[in-house]
Amino acid sequence: MTDKKEDTKNRAAMLKSLREKHKETVEKTQALLKHNQSIRKQIRQAMQSGPMTVPEVAEATGLPSDRVLWHVTAMKKYDLVREVGMSGEYYQYELAQKENQ
Amino acid sequence: MAPRTIKVDALVVGGGIAGMQSALDLADQGYQVALVEKQPSIGGKMIELSKVFPTLDCCSCITTPKMSAVAHNSNIQLFTYCDIQSVDKQGDGRFVAQVIQKPRYVDIETCTACRQCEYACPIDLPHPFDQNLGVHRAIYVPFSTAVPQKALIDIDNCILCGKCERVCPVGCVDFTQQPEELAIEATAIVLATGFEITPTDAKAEYGGGKLLNVVNALTVERLLAPTGPYGHVLRPSDGKEPDSIAYIQCAGSRDKSLGVEYCSRICCMYAIKQSMLISGALPLADIAIYYMDIRTFGKGYDQFYQTAKAMGVQFIKGKVAKITEDENQNPIVRVELIDEGSQVVERQHDMVVLSVGMVSKYDPRTIYDVNVAGDGFVDTPLTNVSPCVTSRPGVFVSGSAAGPMDIVDSIVMAGAAAAEAAAYIQATGPNGHGGGRSIAAGEEKELAHA
Amino acid sequence: MPEKHDSKAAAKAKSSPKEEEVRIGAYTCYCGGNISDVVYCEKVAEALAKLPNVVVSRTDMSMCSDAGQAKIEEDIREHGVNRVVVGACAPSLHEQTFRGTVQRAGLNPFFYHHVGLREQDSWVHHDRVAATKKAIRLMSAGIAKARLLEPLEHIRLSAEKHALVIGGGIAGLRAARDISRRGLKVTLIERSPFLGGHMAQLESIFPTEEDARTVLHGLIEEVAADPNITLYTSSELTGVRGYVGDYQVQITQQSRGVDEDVAEEAMAACTLEVPDDYNYGLTQRKVIYKAYPGCYPPTPAVDWKNIPDGKLELKMNGKKIKLENKPKTIDVKVGAIVIATGFTPYEPRKGEYGYGELPEVVTMPQFIRLLAMAPKGEELVINEKPVRNIGFIHCVGSRQIDDVHEPQPDGEVNNYCSRVCCTATLHLANDLRHRFPDLNIFDVYEDIRTYGRGHEDYYIEASENRVVFLRFHGEEPPEVVASPDDDVSPVQIKLKDYLTWGEEVEVPADLIVLAVGIMPNPVDDLINLLKVSPGTDRFLLEVHPKLRPVETAVPGIVLAGTAQGPMTIQESCAAASAAAAKVSVLLSQGLVELEPYVARVDLDLCKGSGECVEVCAYEDAITLESMTIGGKEVKRAVVSPANCAGCGACVSACPNRAIDLQGWTLGQYQSMIEAIVAEIPAVEIES
Ligand SMILES: Cc1cc2nc3c(=O)[nH]c(=O)nc-3n(C[C@H](O)[C@H](O)[C@H](O)COP(=O)(O)OP(=O)(O)OC[C@H]3O[C@@H](n4cnc5c(N)ncnc54)[C@H](O)[C@@H]3O)c2cc1C
Ligand SMILES: Cc1cc2nc3c(=O)[nH]c(=O)nc-3n(C[C@H](O)[C@H](O)[C@H](O)COP(=O)(O)OP(=O)(O)OC[C@H]3O[C@@H](n4cnc5c(N)ncnc54)[C@H](O)[C@@H]3O)c2cc1C
Ligand code: SF4
Ligand code: SF4
Repeated sequence: MTDKKEDTKNRAAMLKSLREKHKETVEKTQALLKHNQSIRKQIRQAMQSGPMTVPEVAEATGLPSDRVLWHVTAMKKYDLVREVGMSGEYYQYELAQKENQ
Repeated sequence: MAPRTIKVDALVVGGGIAGMQSALDLADQGYQVALVEKQPSIGGKMIELSKVFPTLDCCSCITTPKMSAVAHNSNIQLFTYCDIQSVDKQGDGRFVAQVIQKPRYVDIETCTACRQCEYACPIDLPHPFDQNLGVHRAIYVPFSTAVPQKALIDIDNCILCGKCERVCPVGCVDFTQQPEELAIEATAIVLATGFEITPTDAKAEYGGGKLLNVVNALTVERLLAPTGPYGHVLRPSDGKEPDSIAYIQCAGSRDKSLGVEYCSRICCMYAIKQSMLISGALPLADIAIYYMDIRTFGKGYDQFYQTAKAMGVQFIKGKVAKITEDENQNPIVRVELIDEGSQVVERQHDMVVLSVGMVSKYDPRTIYDVNVAGDGFVDTPLTNVSPCVTSRPGVFVSGSAAGPMDIVDSIVMAGAAAAEAAAYIQATGPNGHGGGRSIAAGEEKELAHA
Repeated sequence: MPEKHDSKAAAKAKSSPKEEEVRIGAYTCYCGGNISDVVYCEKVAEALAKLPNVVVSRTDMSMCSDAGQAKIEEDIREHGVNRVVVGACAPSLHEQTFRGTVQRAGLNPFFYHHVGLREQDSWVHHDRVAATKKAIRLMSAGIAKARLLEPLEHIRLSAEKHALVIGGGIAGLRAARDISRRGLKVTLIERSPFLGGHMAQLESIFPTEEDARTVLHGLIEEVAADPNITLYTSSELTGVRGYVGDYQVQITQQSRGVDEDVAEEAMAACTLEVPDDYNYGLTQRKVIYKAYPGCYPPTPAVDWKNIPDGKLELKMNGKKIKLENKPKTIDVKVGAIVIATGFTPYEPRKGEYGYGELPEVVTMPQFIRLLAMAPKGEELVINEKPVRNIGFIHCVGSRQIDDVHEPQPDGEVNNYCSRVCCTATLHLANDLRHRFPDLNIFDVYEDIRTYGRGHEDYYIEASENRVVFLRFHGEEPPEVVASPDDDVSPVQIKLKDYLTWGEEVEVPADLIVLAVGIMPNPVDDLINLLKVSPGTDRFLLEVHPKLRPVETAVPGIVLAGTAQGPMTIQESCAAASAAAAKVSVLLSQGLVELEPYVARVDLDLCKGSGECVEVCAYEDAITLESMTIGGKEVKRAVVSPANCAGCGACVSACPNRAIDLQGWTLGQYQSMIEAIVAEIPAVEIES
């Protein structure tokens, strides 16, 4: 029976070698992740001030509104934003509690 | 090591509604069936739909129990996320298919689909199931009603950070999984490989896929589905609730310029259905359908059309020449109004839906050695009296793999394919059961008392 | 025969779950929005959780999904749930599904109760608060019943591995062959003396351009040579008893009339003539006849329909002979029945588009026959008159609109599309174009519905080949009138043509062909005998177009072909094969299962007074039988579960309250009623 530390170490090494093997896709995806993270940050910042619609977030961040919608959709799916009522023809969203960390 | 070999009476290729129904109709006659699906879940296109004409049943209400029935039928072995590499005929006349089980990187036996991995994963990806308007993570359960309800990793979009592995409470994430080979031996094959929608970008006149608020009808199915990406009908450019929606019929069908001269036969009905559903969700929205002929030919379908008319959906006979957009990304439709002296007008809408058609999804010629007709779908040389028989003995076709058809027709055809395959197995198969499950002695007489 | 119902088993069933604590799982389904759009499902679940015996109360987007079902299984296995109530769509959709779930988890499948929240609540109400309260009441009633559920077993009966197919058109032939190919026996009955149905009256068929009778006879030969298939022509179903797996059917067959060896001679000698139905009454034929050259069976038959007294005298070789119809009956036991009785072309009213008044107006089926008989040549000659202008009118007798079209004799308009006539028309138009290059062809339509594989090609070809299309609106159907000016053409079609600004146009024609639709063959006799139902369009009705598209609501009775709705040959054959698959599923195991919802008699309470037997509408379902109880010879009611339909008439008729319906007992009903009217658990429902 391997002890716990050994196990963690082995696993880390295994992941590392796999990352090496899938280098190309990993790097591509890491770039995507970075890009998305910066967008998310902008969206979160904009939404600090309270519930907002997609065009309002787009306006505040300068991001295209379809991209904002996509990210808000993603955040909604994973419980990072919540839908709160409507303003005109648009739904409003606010950051979910745990998003503050 | 020689690959694992599974011996069955029938191999069904494709787990859409047609493949599932053929598999069930064979299994219920007592035949052993292997159902091979290339996606991680069975369900096909139908599971993506919202509600379905002509009954307006919620689509999951019809599909998911069938998926469940397939998964639980003791005569069906289900193989998802598998590719069939080759099919050969053995000396005894039976087929043998070489199959690759693609790695899910998740142990399917232990995964409970708790989705903790999914929440932990940092990678958001456009979800094809939601026509890319929704998201999934690099590790994900395909959708809420997937069968099998198990996670998998999209390895090409994974950074191998290992977060999922760390949070999985049952330790089922396994980055070392390798493709597995297996062989399936069967007397008969049923091809139920289905269809694909006409690519939206095929037509430059309609914006070539670049106009954000010009969407295909499958997207609208997702918008209407309660499990859809937004949970509401919103347009993709900015999340606005559309007030004015236009449908463009025969978008990619009956169109020589695309090489699709045939009618896709479902799009009139689904456009009418979606109009009715949108009217329900957005009672104030104006809906216009630009059409050449309304083809509501099925049982109860013309009545459905009349109902939509009575609900206020506008049917406008017109040829749409071009779609452009204004600075607010509102689509502008340039249309020749045939009923009004063929005058050409431009109309602005909030969202335009292309009633895309059905094209063949899969070319089976190399692997299955069956003929394909000029329309790209599997050829049925005896189409009048034996509509499921292909050019190759022992290989049958089910559902929309044999040309555009709706769910009702696909299910009927699936039953017919099962009948053909069963007759073939009965006549030729060494494993033919000679009339299905044999009855244990005395069982025939036995009458259980309630 | 099934054994008679055993009351000991019933008594056992009654007492078995006593000791066990009832632990109910209540599940309120969103039904993908169908329910949750109106009902606050979470509130319902919250309220139900407060009810006695409810140990689990959950909701799900779709309970019927694998994940939904898995939850139920888990609750049974891990939380000791032993009764399950799901509030969802109609029981007809998914009661079976959930019974299966419960059974998989190890419970008796009848420890399940289904509440139809969708049809009974969310689909018929708008007020969300009221609908939510109603949902709670309906579910509470279901839960009350669940407390009293008893374990039941399906009634299992041996099944006759033999099917009856009614109708010898292409669909019936296809079904018969496919059932036989699975090793089952088939009895095929055809009302007319010859096989083939309407396909025999076609010439070249779309979409393959094959010769109709060549294709048809390919299948007829298979059927004729098949030792598993017994064929009765000139035959109809005249009696049915029994139930799925064991139908005793009576077939009545008219005499063929003449002995095979002299039949040809007799036909030659026959002089009496009647309208030839093969040519839709356009020509005459003898009463001893063959439907067409090469028909099957090849022996001529006497057309007794046209000889009301069933007696025919004939002079043959100078001798007088007397022919007589001596119908005989045949009894067969079958496990399942396929209805393939087909269609009949719509017969326009006299005067409808000039039909029956203007000789230049014919229906398309008639025209196909006329064309087959027309002289070959450069010019189309019909009834000895050259035709230079021909007009087709679509949707005659189809797609009718209330207040625009005159209703059919039953008061309803034919509001459906007949599906085949557009393609059949264009197929014919192209054929005419090839044969008669100078003919002017006009096509007057509402929508062109060339939907099928290969169908659109006919439309394209017609458009490219000088077929002139004119389009009307359904509300303004075209008119056919005699030409005021006979020089141009004898008749004309008047319409507002919406391909040219809605202009009034007059289309000159020498012949007008009405693309008549498809009506079901009248089958009132079968509807009465077999208890199957027609839909509002008069075609026979399937249980559910997606879940069970070829089955009727009567177990063991399935549909094939155009008896169910308009179809092409291909679609008729696909439906027939699908029907054969269902028959094979049902019979190939030699066993069928019936629902146990049947009456049961409490022998301690029964006094043998027999009111039950009197009210029962089903043959042999409940009878009085002698038995010894406590040493005394008495009469007691005995139920035959296979024959009992579970209607409950006997339950209310019994003065001694000795009868109950299993699965729906009086006690269960009472508990449900009490729960419906009781106070509902308090929950806050937002409005
Ligand atoms: C927008 C839209 C709305 C619609 N609405 C309705 C409606 O309301 N009512 C209605 O009746 N119909 C509707 N339809 C039509 C309906 O979707 C189809 O009739 C039905 O899905 C056809 O089922 P199928 O099983 O033939 O094909 P599919 O659903 O395409 O299934 C084929 C399956 O085979 C798999 N497969 C393909 N190739 C392979 C391979 N090589 N190996 C293994 N597996 C393979 C695929 O992954 C898929 O799972 C709609 C269609 C569209 C596009
Ligand atoms: C003008 C026209 C042209 C067409 N052209 C084409 C074409 O080119 N291609 C194509 O695919 N389709 C075509 N069709 C459609 C085609 O004719 C039908 O799809 C097909 O004939 C239907 O077959 P069936 O067996 O369902 O019905 P039917 O052919 O009507 O057969 C039913 C049989 O049942 C018998 N029967 C009825 N009642 C009873 C009873 N009570 N007991 C016993 N027997 C009974 C009848 O006598 C008959 O023999 C055309 C239809 C029309 C009207
Ligand atoms: S079904 Fe309607 S929209 Fe679709 S291709 Fe045919 S005519 Fe066009
Ligand atoms: S198929 Fe064509 S002619 Fe026939 S009813 Fe339908 S629309 Fe009318």
